[in-house]
Amino acid sequence: MKLDQWKKTFQKNLSILITFFIFLILPFILPYKALATEILIFAMATIAFDLLLGYTGIMMFCQASFFGTGAYITGLLIHHYQPNIFLCMGAAIFGAAILAVLFGYMSTQRAGTYSVLLTLAFNELIFFIAYQWKTLTGGSDGLRDIPRPNLEIPGLLNINLFSEARFYFFCLFFFILSFILIKMITQSPFGKVLQGIRENETRAQAIGYNTRFFKVTAFVIGGMFMGLAGNLYAMFMNFVDINHVAFDTSGKIVMMELIGGMGTLFGPVLGAGIVTLASDIACAYWERWLLILGAVFVAFVLFARGGVWGLIENVRGRLKVS
Amino acid sequence: MMLLNLVIVQIFNGLVLGMIYVLLAMGLSIVWGMMNIINFSHGLFFAIGAYMAYTVFSVTENFFMGLILIPIGTGLIGIFLEKTLLRRLYGLNILYQILMTFGIALMGRELIIILYGPIGKSFVPPESLSGTITLGSLFFPRYRIFLLFVSILLTLGMWLFIEKTKYGSIIRAGTEDSEMVSALGINISRVFTLIFGLSMAIAGFSGILSAPIRGVEPMMGEAILGICFAVVVIGGMGSFIGAIIGGIIVGLSQSMVALIMPSASIIVIFLVMALILLIRPRGLLGIRD
Repeated sequence: MKLDQWKKTFQKNLSILITFFIFLILPFILPYKALATEILIFAMATIAFDLLLGYTGIMMFCQASFFGTGAYITGLLIHHYQPNIFLCMGAAIFGAAILAVLFGYMSTQRAGTYSVLLTLAFNELIFFIAYQWKTLTGGSDGLRDIPRPNLEIPGLLNINLFSEARFYFFCLFFFILSFILIKMITQSPFGKVLQGIRENETRAQAIGYNTRFFKVTAFVIGGMFMGLAGNLYAMFMNFVDINHVAFDTSGKIVMMELIGGMGTLFGPVLGAGIVTLASDIACAYWERWLLILGAVFVAFVLFARGGVWGLIENVRGRLKVS
Repeated sequence: MMLLNLVIVQIFNGLVLGMIYVLLAMGLSIVWGMMNIINFSHGLFFAIGAYMAYTVFSVTENFFMGLILIPIGTGLIGIFLEKTLLRRLYGLNILYQILMTFGIALMGRELIIILYGPIGKSFVPPESLSGTITLGSLFFPRYRIFLLFVSILLTLGMWLFIEKTKYGSIIRAGTEDSEMVSALGINISRVFTLIFGLSMAIAGFSGILSAPIRGVEPMMGEAILGICFAVVVIGGMGSFIGAIIGGIIVGLSQSMVALIMPSASIIVIFLVMALILLIRPRGLLGIRD
């Protein structure tokens, strides 16, 4: 390749490189490393949701079901069998995917606002099952004492992930992988169809696409990455809480998505960072700071629907003009 | 004989529960049919009604005054929110209206916790409505009979309002095609405001009614929102009679399953919903595909 071609690809992917660089140094600039891990995991869940809302135009409130299912599967596996870490991850992703097929199929039966309402009802169903099936899930106590498995590839390496820094970089690897994969999906012909559905579903149907198939597939892809995020979160916290499948977790991901800026992938990452950091700081001062977060969220819905990323783009655009 | 008694009492309890769902689902369904908004703050107004009843009752000890004044209050709050916040989002993607009501619900819940604390409070029904009525070997709490009576009355009133009055015909027409209604010279935006206020007034009213049975706690709105969604899905979106049938089905199945397996009583609601979705995607009496 010629030099200017290299330069072009470099410029094209500059924002991605900057994002990854920030994440490389993030644990060392934040007050404690666990905060960086939390940002990373929620950023993963939020970009997965961005594929649905931002790129396909599917609004939903069952993120917590996928996230929580991933977390519970991980918790139960480690609790009872202590399997290999990759087996845990695979099982969590697979479980979330199965659930996503079901939810996706059921909620895309009818278009529009109706499906949003269904996803919330499904989320409640999963929540109450987790809440009532105490012998399996521990009910409101959740699953305690889940040790982090070692990063083990038989015959190759065996590293323990007990230190926060090690676990952070372990998560970072999978975050970068997820980010690149989702980015590639959005740029693929498949992703273009998704965006076509977002813009005008009837027209996409008229061209001959089976839009429902595409929507369910988007559900499954999104659900898998949310399941992976849940898996990492369970290993990160060393316990699974009933809250992980509750409506609040779905709501949190929705807020991160909108405050960050939907349909941009970078926005949701930014949103996850802002909301997680703000809640960490604000919690210390005022327990009920969610009131402020709610107000900020409402303000974004009213005045800045492109989120923080949209505002940044706006400023950049103006600077270029002048 | 014991079992039969138990079943009859549970049917009664199921109807009581069901009528609360009916009142909530009615408002939810009308707002959806007319304005195409899924109102995530519907549960919040249920909670506001209950908390207001708690306050009014502990200050004045008069339950019935609250029963009349509080719905007006929640209705006015609804009208205020519609005029200041929701109105700005008409014409945009429906997504933003959903997000707005979601934000409002979150703020409202936090506000309730700030004002009343995170722990729930118990609420004793007024003296004139406490005690039981004996029918043969069966005991029915007086308050629940009162609840059943009032909620059926209100449902009937709403039905008459929608079926027999001029405003009702605007609502019915607007559910079919709100653009056409506005083309006929009806100020649709004022109708939207009133519908939203009415729906919130009924939500507040059902909150007051259920407070003496289940007490008040900050999460009560969210807990009931999911169930109401299931009721609306079962009955069919935008259908008034559907909301009634759905509410009663859900109330009865919840109380019947509680007899056999109490821990599954809420789960069964969503299973019934999933079943109906598979058999009949638009719900029992849904109007749109």
